[in-house]
Amino acid sequence: MKFKNFIVVAASSVMVLAVSAWLFFGTPAEFSFSERRELVQMPEFSLSSFKSGKFMTDFDKFSTDQLPLRDTLRTLKAYAAKYLFAQTDNNDIYVYNGYAAKMEAAENEESAENAAQKIKQIRDLYLKDNTGRVMFSVIPDKNCYLAEKSGHLTVNPEFFADKIAQANPEIGYIDISDLLDETDFYFTDTHWRQEKITDVAGRIAESFGITLSAEYEQKTLDIPFYGVYSGQSALPLDAEEIHYLTNDVLENCRVFDYQNNKETAVYDMEKAGGKDPYEMFLSGPISLVTIENPNASTDRELVIFRDSFGSSLAPLLAEGYAKITLADTRYIQPQILGKWIDFSRCDVLFIYSTLILNSSEMFK
Amino acid sequence: MLFSSVTFLYCFLPVVLIMYYIAPGIMKNAVLLISSLFFYAWGEPLYVILMVASILIGYVSGILIEKTRGTKAAKPVLAVSLAINIGLLGYFKYSDFFIENFNAATGLSVPMLNIALPIGISFYTFQLISYLIDVYRGDVPSQKNPVSLGAYISMFPQLIAGPIVRYSHINDQLSNRKISFEGIADGVTRFAIGLGKKILLANQLGELCDIFRQSSDKAVLFYWMYGVAYALHVYFDFSGYSDMAIGLGKMLGFDFCENFNYPFISKSVAEFWRRWHISLGSWFRDYVYIPLGGNRVSKPRWIFNILVVWMLTGLWHGAAWTFVVWGLLFAALLVAEKIAAPLLKKMKILNHVYVIFVILISFIIFNASDLSQAASDIAGLFGAGGIPAVSPESLYYLRSYAVLFVLGIIGSTPAVKSLILKVKENKIGEKIVYAARPFAVIALLLLVTAYLADGSFNPFLYFRF
Repeated sequence: MKFKNFIVVAASSVMVLAVSAWLFFGTPAEFSFSERRELVQMPEFSLSSFKSGKFMTDFDKFSTDQLPLRDTLRTLKAYAAKYLFAQTDNNDIYVYNGYAAKMEAAENEESAENAAQKIKQIRDLYLKDNTGRVMFSVIPDKNCYLAEKSGHLTVNPEFFADKIAQANPEIGYIDISDLLDETDFYFTDTHWRQEKITDVAGRIAESFGITLSAEYEQKTLDIPFYGVYSGQSALPLDAEEIHYLTNDVLENCRVFDYQNNKETAVYDMEKAGGKDPYEMFLSGPISLVTIENPNASTDRELVIFRDSFGSSLAPLLAEGYAKITLADTRYIQPQILGKWIDFSRCDVLFIYSTLILNSSEMFK
Repeated sequence: MLFSSVTFLYCFLPVVLIMYYIAPGIMKNAVLLISSLFFYAWGEPLYVILMVASILIGYVSGILIEKTRGTKAAKPVLAVSLAINIGLLGYFKYSDFFIENFNAATGLSVPMLNIALPIGISFYTFQLISYLIDVYRGDVPSQKNPVSLGAYISMFPQLIAGPIVRYSHINDQLSNRKISFEGIADGVTRFAIGLGKKILLANQLGELCDIFRQSSDKAVLFYWMYGVAYALHVYFDFSGYSDMAIGLGKMLGFDFCENFNYPFISKSVAEFWRRWHISLGSWFRDYVYIPLGGNRVSKPRWIFNILVVWMLTGLWHGAAWTFVVWGLLFAALLVAEKIAAPLLKKMKILNHVYVIFVILISFIIFNASDLSQAASDIAGLFGAGGIPAVSPESLYYLRSYAVLFVLGIIGSTPAVKSLILKVKENKIGEKIVYAARPFAVIALLLLVTAYLADGSFNPFLYFRF
């Protein structure tokens, strides 16, 4: 036996057996914080699951999810993609000038059409006799601003705006694209920074004939924020801060979460300490939530059909409305919204990011 | 079960190897058979019964053929046993293709059977056929031990993706093989190289092909990128699997035949097929082409023989007209090359360009969902339909995949192997190569595991053939 052969066999055996021992005898991890998802657990064996092949499929998922040092391995892969293969993105995620973004290579026409039709369905269902103003806006993703500089591919927000306008000619369009650039977004997250979008809120309010004073106190969350791209990129990105804007008006607002049937807050500090601190804004992804402002200067009401970007925007509009209702039709059927919302006199805003409009199959 | 999965690498393989090495010599084939059936059942829990039935039919047939050899009964016994094997392959693989074409020709609407194709049936059926014919010809004795025959037919390293190991090649090794540290070390190294080819090159190039297919921003450049990426993808996918199979064989003490020998450096299509999927090419040569008369017949008959062999080669790869056309394209090229052989010899560099071009076209046909898509993809290479020369998407992905293209092209030539051999020519170089080997193997395993951790795995391309 030559030493050169022994060393190859020994080194590979140690590695394979160490991973095997971990998989067979280690305690399975339950949650991946970097990917913000539950990890697959050991499937239960049964004759039927074996015969159908389900047990094997689930076991393959389990063994992949439970690999030891999974996050480190994902980081190794990200480095290999970047430095070994000189790839310009890793699973469509890239980092440029410190900003992590998701590349959207092209507009999905079917998705844009679907989103436009979903808006039309809501309009046909509730807004035929509405006496308020109905507007829509498209939030360009961070990638829309970065791609030109970084050389990545991007979608054109106007494409989605045109699709929505074609299907809904009665609805006015609020163009906010000129008010944003990449610095208005978090470095490591999809979302925009609330403290940077007061001008966006101002233009939207203006479109509805409302002038905002926009006087806020900026507060900083005392929790390091690693956005969703931090985990998805698998690269070691620095933590950043979440700032939020408040004032007396906002502090006196009452927020009600219809999904969980409970009072909550404009800034939910329990969620701020959770898996995704951005969920502090109106408690994150909730199908139906209202902000009631007892100190409003008018009795007007606003209904916002929105995605998660709306959670940090809506508080900035609260000053001008007695009540704002936020509906996220990714989580609730629009057909049942009439039970809770009176659409006869309210203003209505449809506002979605290009990321959602380009994957609108999630709309109910 | 895929070799390129965590389940195989870190659950199945270590357990099987430990059991295999611990088992006494006489029990090793039993361990191999049981683990191979488990391996098969992991992907095809019900079809494992079909596999066992095929083994038993092969076992009984082999003994009967040997007993009747030299008598009038031998041929009918062989014919019946071949008919059973080919019948099973035909039923599972070609029924719906036949019904579809029958319906199209007659206007009837015979319902499709929608049968799921058993994994690896094309590979193990061909192994069984070679065994039965070799026994009939008296080239090998029949296998008296059903466990040994079962281990040969179902052997997990080459069960789902080849190489098509001939019984005559492995007969002695089934009863007498040596497991050495050198063999295991070589096997581990070869396996790691194959795994790297599959995960690091083939899968990533396959992703580019998927991106191309989904793109609505097509350009001439993108079609060419797709053509090159797909040809390299198939090569690294399949040759990677063959490397893994050969490596696993070495770990188990077997010595399988080589299946690829840098086919893209070929100067003719005939040479390409001596270097690509060698075990399949030699199988068709020995069991179809030569029995039909080979080239020692009249020219029309020779052309007929070529057409039959290549139509069958195409159909072996899949039950669709694209595969038939793919096979017939090679038949036409081989006939043309025979006629224009002197011209081909004169072309110094152009013959490489010609081979690469026709191989690229052939794989575009191979991967098309139907003949109209194949025609549209080939037309796209030449800008048909007024598509632009380049598009933002094609330029972006060219930049993003440039290194992979370069690595793929270099990796498909013997350049790296030649370099290592050159370095090993002097003693210091040899020491450096041997010292680097364990690090390279571990680095490859780590990198592959990192890619497995990051993404969902990519089903092996030759799974359903």
